[in-house]
Amino acid sequence: MENKDKRFHMSSFLMRESLLDDRVLEGTLKAETPTVRMLPDVRVIKIGSSSIVDRGKSAVYPLMDVCAQMLKEHRIIFGCGGGARSKHVFSVGVDLGLPTGVLAQISVADALGNAHILGTLLAQHGVVAIPPEIFGHLLPLFINTVPGGIFNRVPPYSNWEHPPKIGRIPPHRSDAGCFILGECFGVDSVILVKDVDGLYTKDPKDHDDAVFIPEATASEVEAMNLETLPFDRVLLDILKTNRLMKQFQIVNGLKPELVARAAKGEHVGTIIRADQ
Amino acid sequence: MKNSDLLTGIGHDLMQGNLNDDKLTARTRESQSVQILPEAVVIKIGGQSIIDRGRAAVMPILNELVQNLGKHKMIIGTGAGTRARHAYSVGADLGMPTGVMSVLGTFVSMQNARMIHYLMAKHGIPFIEPVQFPQLPLYLAERHAVIFFGMPPYTFWQRNPTVGNIPPHRTDTGSYLISEVFACKNMIYIKDEDGLYTNDPKKDPNAKFIPEITVQELIDMNLDDVVVEREVLKMMLNAENSRSIQIINGLKPGNITRALNGEKVGTIIKVG
Repeated sequence: MENKDKRFHMSSFLMRESLLDDRVLEGTLKAETPTVRMLPDVRVIKIGSSSIVDRGKSAVYPLMDVCAQMLKEHRIIFGCGGGARSKHVFSVGVDLGLPTGVLAQISVADALGNAHILGTLLAQHGVVAIPPEIFGHLLPLFINTVPGGIFNRVPPYSNWEHPPKIGRIPPHRSDAGCFILGECFGVDSVILVKDVDGLYTKDPKDHDDAVFIPEATASEVEAMNLETLPFDRVLLDILKTNRLMKQFQIVNGLKPELVARAAKGEHVGTIIRADQ
Repeated sequence: MKNSDLLTGIGHDLMQGNLNDDKLTARTRESQSVQILPEAVVIKIGGQSIIDRGRAAVMPILNELVQNLGKHKMIIGTGAGTRARHAYSVGADLGMPTGVMSVLGTFVSMQNARMIHYLMAKHGIPFIEPVQFPQLPLYLAERHAVIFFGMPPYTFWQRNPTVGNIPPHRTDTGSYLISEVFACKNMIYIKDEDGLYTNDPKKDPNAKFIPEITVQELIDMNLDDVVVEREVLKMMLNAENSRSIQIINGLKPGNITRALNGEKVGTIIKVG
């Protein structure tokens, strides 16, 4: 239909409205319709790549044994980033002057490699690396067919990666990919498996006086102004706008039994929560 | 492992360090940035503002773009528009997650790209999906233009907006990020208003035109309604290459050609 403003509209509550108008946008999150939780009983477990996979057999095999046990009890989406190989390709790319959107595109290959490594180790349980092109749409099918799936958790931002405030390293890496996925699919929990017990006041690998922080809100972590974090900084921003996933837990994968306890909902590492 | 022989200084520190260390990552901008396609221009054709108006608005714009083939290299993105609004309103009512809303918006933006593509096909201009972007330089060299859908390919990985449930990164942002990553010389938004106003000029007859403004000034004005997606402004603050955008009125003949030639015919928003 043609209207007074000479544009064509379809009848909807957004017709004739600007999607750039905050007053209109507020109406799009209706209190009476909670966001659909597509996979409410699924755990998202991110296996750290620099912290776990790159350590090889001594770290990975015990963790895989625990994962095999966990798959009898839970449905799990596993994933990993690119680790040392991504850092290397970043360093070569940075030296060549390549922009953030190119670095993001190139680093996906390292994460894909690690996903296939985990897929090989978990193949006997029917858990394989699912190609990213079909992962999102077919995830509910896969996860109802087999107890788990693996994906490369670098989100598909590629050339469209956001330029970061500092430097050129892509801000949406594998931690972000798994947390955003968990939010979209409304999963039970998101667990980041690293090689430290959780968040410390300083990097515990370099400082004996580092103090463990069992839980903190996003704002508290920001206020601490820590030089390094055991998770990607962008997760603090993502927490602020999440509607379903209001926390994530960092767990030490060198103590694999802790991962199993975290999947049961226990607090065994550091829990970072959204502000309330 | 001895890295020092094989790696640059920053390379060595990146391998040993943590990518969440701001002091370390700050150094990754020290190298000279490559300008990948510095002669190209990114043009976004509005969805609701242009394409949904049909023949009367679209044909003159495409004719003008065709007249500029050979003079400019054009990466042409499409907006979504009315059907996306419809899908978003149904989706919001049904409680769809933002990532699913993003998928819905992508489909509409793709419909528009395909339609524009068929209208430009006789000039040998291809439509490329994100996976075909590696062929973009060839098409620009050979045919001087390509069509792509403006939505960034985030799909289920689209982040939630601060307000509401509409995907915050839509076709303005997707087009802008292409101008940033390829270091294109211009980012031109073709809409149906002369540029930025203090309020939506379609609803407020007293809205005042703003010919030029910095991103920070615009953010500080805290307008309820702005002419480009707010995320574009946030991205511009961090951008290395694409630090100025122009919004022009595509319903006025000649504007596109003048903007392509670097003239100011609408509103310029730039990093101060």
